[in-house]
Amino acid sequence: MASKFGLAGGIPERRVRPIWDAVDSRQYKSALKLCTALLAKHPTSPYALALKALTLERMGKPDEALSVCLEAKELLYSNNIFHFDDLTLSTLQIVFQRLERLDLATSCYEYACTKYPNNLELMMGLFNCYVREYSYVKQQQTALRMYKTVGEERFLLWAVCSIQLQAYFSSGGEKLLAFAEALLKKHISSHSLHEPEALSLYVSILEQQAKYDAALEVLSGDLGSLMGREEDKLRLQGRLLTQACNYVAASEIYQKVLESCPDDWESFLHYLGCLLERDVKLPKPTTGEHTCSSCSVDSNKTSLSEEVESRLASALLFVQKLQKNDSSDSVRGPHLANIEIERQHRLSGNSTKFMEALVNYFHRFGHLSCSSSDVEIYLHMLSGDEITELLDTISRSFDASSVSVKALGLTITTFKVQELLGTLLSKSTTDLQRIAKGMVETFYKNLPLSRDLDPQESMHGEELLSMASNILVQLFWRTRNLGYLLEAVLVLEFGLTVRKHVWQYKITLVHLYSYLGALPLAHRWYVSLEVKNILLESVSHHILPQMLSSHCLQQTASLVKDYLRFMDDHLKESADLTCLAYRHRTYSKVIEFVQFKNRLQRSMQYLAVKSDSVILSLKQKSESLEEVESVLENVNHGGGLVDLSSEDNMKHLTFNEDLEARPWWTPTTSVNFLSEPIDESSTPACFRAKVCKHKSTEKDGPKMRDAERKCLVPRLVYLSMHGCVSSLRETEPNGSVSDITVGEMKTLLEKYARTIGYSMDDALSMILGISSGKKSMKDFAPDIVSWMSFAVFINAMNLWSNESVIPRTDPSSPSSWEIVDSLVKICIEEHLTDANRILTCPGNKIPLLVQMVTEPISWHLIIIQSCMRVVAPQGKKKKKSGPSLRPNMPQLQGIQRSVQCLIETLRSVQKWLSDQMSPEEQGLDILMSYLQGTGDEGPGQTFRVLEEKPAAHASELGDRIAQSLEAWSSTGVVRRIVGAEHEVLAEFKKMVDSKLKLLMSESASLSSVLH
Amino acid sequence: MTTIRRFCCDDLLRFASVNLDHLTETFNMSFYMTYLARWPDYFHTAVNPGDRVMGYIMGKVEGQGESWHGHVTAVSVASEFRRQKLAKTLMHLLEEISDKMDKAYFVDLFVRASNMPAIRMYEKLGYVVYRRVLRYYSGEEDGLDMRKALSQDVDKKSIIPLKRPITPDELEYD
Repeated sequence: MASKFGLAGGIPERRVRPIWDAVDSRQYKSALKLCTALLAKHPTSPYALALKALTLERMGKPDEALSVCLEAKELLYSNNIFHFDDLTLSTLQIVFQRLERLDLATSCYEYACTKYPNNLELMMGLFNCYVREYSYVKQQQTALRMYKTVGEERFLLWAVCSIQLQAYFSSGGEKLLAFAEALLKKHISSHSLHEPEALSLYVSILEQQAKYDAALEVLSGDLGSLMGREEDKLRLQGRLLTQACNYVAASEIYQKVLESCPDDWESFLHYLGCLLERDVKLPKPTTGEHTCSSCSVDSNKTSLSEEVESRLASALLFVQKLQKNDSSDSVRGPHLANIEIERQHRLSGNSTKFMEALVNYFHRFGHLSCSSSDVEIYLHMLSGDEITELLDTISRSFDASSVSVKALGLTITTFKVQELLGTLLSKSTTDLQRIAKGMVETFYKNLPLSRDLDPQESMHGEELLSMASNILVQLFWRTRNLGYLLEAVLVLEFGLTVRKHVWQYKITLVHLYSYLGALPLAHRWYVSLEVKNILLESVSHHILPQMLSSHCLQQTASLVKDYLRFMDDHLKESADLTCLAYRHRTYSKVIEFVQFKNRLQRSMQYLAVKSDSVILSLKQKSESLEEVESVLENVNHGGGLVDLSSEDNMKHLTFNEDLEARPWWTPTTSVNFLSEPIDESSTPACFRAKVCKHKSTEKDGPKMRDAERKCLVPRLVYLSMHGCVSSLRETEPNGSVSDITVGEMKTLLEKYARTIGYSMDDALSMILGISSGKKSMKDFAPDIVSWMSFAVFINAMNLWSNESVIPRTDPSSPSSWEIVDSLVKICIEEHLTDANRILTCPGNKIPLLVQMVTEPISWHLIIIQSCMRVVAPQGKKKKKSGPSLRPNMPQLQGIQRSVQCLIETLRSVQKWLSDQMSPEEQGLDILMSYLQGTGDEGPGQTFRVLEEKPAAHASELGDRIAQSLEAWSSTGVVRRIVGAEHEVLAEFKKMVDSKLKLLMSESASLSSVLH
Repeated sequence: MTTIRRFCCDDLLRFASVNLDHLTETFNMSFYMTYLARWPDYFHTAVNPGDRVMGYIMGKVEGQGESWHGHVTAVSVASEFRRQKLAKTLMHLLEEISDKMDKAYFVDLFVRASNMPAIRMYEKLGYVVYRRVLRYYSGEEDGLDMRKALSQDVDKKSIIPLKRPITPDELEYD
């Protein structure tokens, strides 16, 4: 900004510079003083006013800033004596943009451009305004005007870009592509093109219209020399030739690419595809496609035609030549290519050399930590026998007992192959224990290899601990013996003691601790990852769902706030970056930036967190009606969120979470295998398919419905509050004009029921059934909390509505209050019956209880408080209009019973929590006892390795590693788990205590009204 | 085995396994996007056969006259894909673009004076310590400005080490 000096509106620079300096250094008060002085001298200078507005906005006075801006705008419009300069306009633009009034900035520029039609600077300003508003048509028109005015290539390309945006994002925009092409042709014929990006844009316009030959002609002509790197040009030619179905030429071109970039895997696949004239695009490992038959041996296929055989043979020759050209071990592409060629043979039933190719690959690269993931997709195509054979061959190829980086690498690879293929699933419990223990021992034995590494560098064998921990979790899943889960934690904590920077361990620990009920520890490790900026979008899923259903309202609020701030800020500034791409003539990025902005704007997580953040504030403030009201008022009473959940919006949501690093047992946020019984009969392949299916169907999963439902909650809370007030104010004029109706509430509740998978009627009979004991609570799973909230909202609607929402068969049927009461009681008590210590039963019991208390019970309490405010107002007891607040006796009795019921239920929670909280030493003994088995069966074996090894071999490890291991204490880790679980219980109990206090006071006021 | 291509915005959502590393900074969005908008040829990513991001390099070209040079702002490889010379491949690409396309005189980069593994790697790639920048990192740690001369700089004038260390405000570019 400091560069924006000059003579503006007749004001000399020396008067203006101090203001900018003050603003830049955040000295807003002195900036404002200077502005006032400047305005005294130049009272009608729009520029002086713009500076004042800028300062006011920075001071956090948006309203004043806007009015000053409007004043400046008036002056600009009304007065001809002022010279229109871009400085004034761009300053105003900055303020308008920060005030989220892009429209006003645009209209200023539009006016200026009409007044000074040939001023290029103003037109560029106007163009940028349209970019910020995503008005592609107007962008195009403005750019063409600039092009006509000065004839510069860049403006023509701005227009072409704007056309391409229309083709991508507006219907019917495709027709314009021909127009863009014609414009470019005309320009090229007289002026040619001068920028590589301009050429790319031209080619992409032709490509979009399927004019591949024309595009190829352009590339091979003079313009082709604009492409900076020969390989890029060749790749582009290859793509165009493929699209034009000219496979022979395309494969030749790709061959050239591979000669200069032999490691370019994508080009190799294109090469082979063109050679065979079929798509050899490999399925991605995460989509689960690899279980489909296309990848396995298909006996129905006829054997390869001679033609194809000969083409594959030539591909093999070519690949072998590439292999010879590079003797180093850093170019793996041609070797992997070998496997792909053999896969092609195998696809047609001729599979003799596929295994051989894989084995060769492992012989050559098996020591690299990525070798198993390099060939992952091929491993999945092996039969059980072949897998055994492969593993045997690799194992025989090296001496596993020696201590060397290469042997360690190969050991890890054999384990990784088994992990990837899920073959460990079929091993016996004893075997698994032995393997896990062996992995930790191997890690330990090889630590000396890392003694001279820099502490920042990753150490050799780090993956072993991750894999050992995975196996231990599997043992827990199989046996339900908590000891294994504790060992899984200990192994990773041990690893972090050796080197504190291994993020993979941290992420797994986040999930393990969450599952163990030690959320504070999970949160601590998550925080140590320092997740920020765009990672907030891709990585937050590791912690956010657990935090949202926890007692940690404050910490959750800060996670949510950071995330929303990042997303909001980026979406605001994104168009400025598009302007930058235009200015630097990087046309390919213009399109990309707009697409990316759309992707983030439609993020599923962004939508969900927007409602989470409101719900979270409601939870935090639920004990004060005034604060609840102000929360709701700030979000347009929840109306905006309801709009966001429209069908059209939900259809186009994007999923941007990077699920790669999640542990195997919770492949997505809505799935946790540990909560389900293990299916012993499931084969590795079934299990793998299941994991893949979860990942690929995330979009249709329960997460979408959760998000949709959450969008409705704030509005439902608002309507509930409004409804009970109207129902109790009997004297309120019936004809009062209010646009809030019970009809809206009904529609929302119907939608709410649909998100749990029920129609309104079925949902009603469901809650009736459960509350009367005719149906089992099991039917509520897994949406129990949503069901409880549903009943709470139904009660509120019933109060409001003239006719009963719930079908009542006879007068003795329960009232809607009673339904809520008994549902709350049943659901909560169900979770308290288990007398086992929560410490020893990991799972989601505490989060569920917390959610019940913080959501349905809180909403119900808000409704009760709203009713009470009408019948027994606090504070000023002056009754202005006497009878207008005459209590409605049956309702009041319903409320009183409900309050009583909540008190009883919460007291039982309180008692249960107190019983669960035991002295730390006792908790420690309980958990340690799971680890102290002495036999060869059961957990404890890996634990003993961790306990005994470090002390025994400190001397071989070097000072640094030995020193870090001095801090290691298994007991310390277990003690922290006990402490964290205790903290969770204590904090939850505080919440319950506070709700009880509120209920007691409501109960007292009720008694005084009723008696 | 490795496909190297221009970095694009979508990669920002897929590079967590690279950026969760404690030494890799995750910059704000305008930082990445400014690089993409201004120097798209200096921002490349390497992906594996499963289309996972293995690592990336970002840089720029700037300066005047004989100080016209390529700059490596960040180069990072996910731990799974280390020890296979991927960083070297990425560095070579940036050097080639600086040299052939932009006719720059040298490529430079800054590294924490304590980051010995990185310094050793850059030295192996032909970089020399040109000068020390005092308290370059958050006003605490010194940075080393390392350089490698390109073909334009026939006499390798650009890499003759400075005798004395400089302070960050003496730097010509950010």
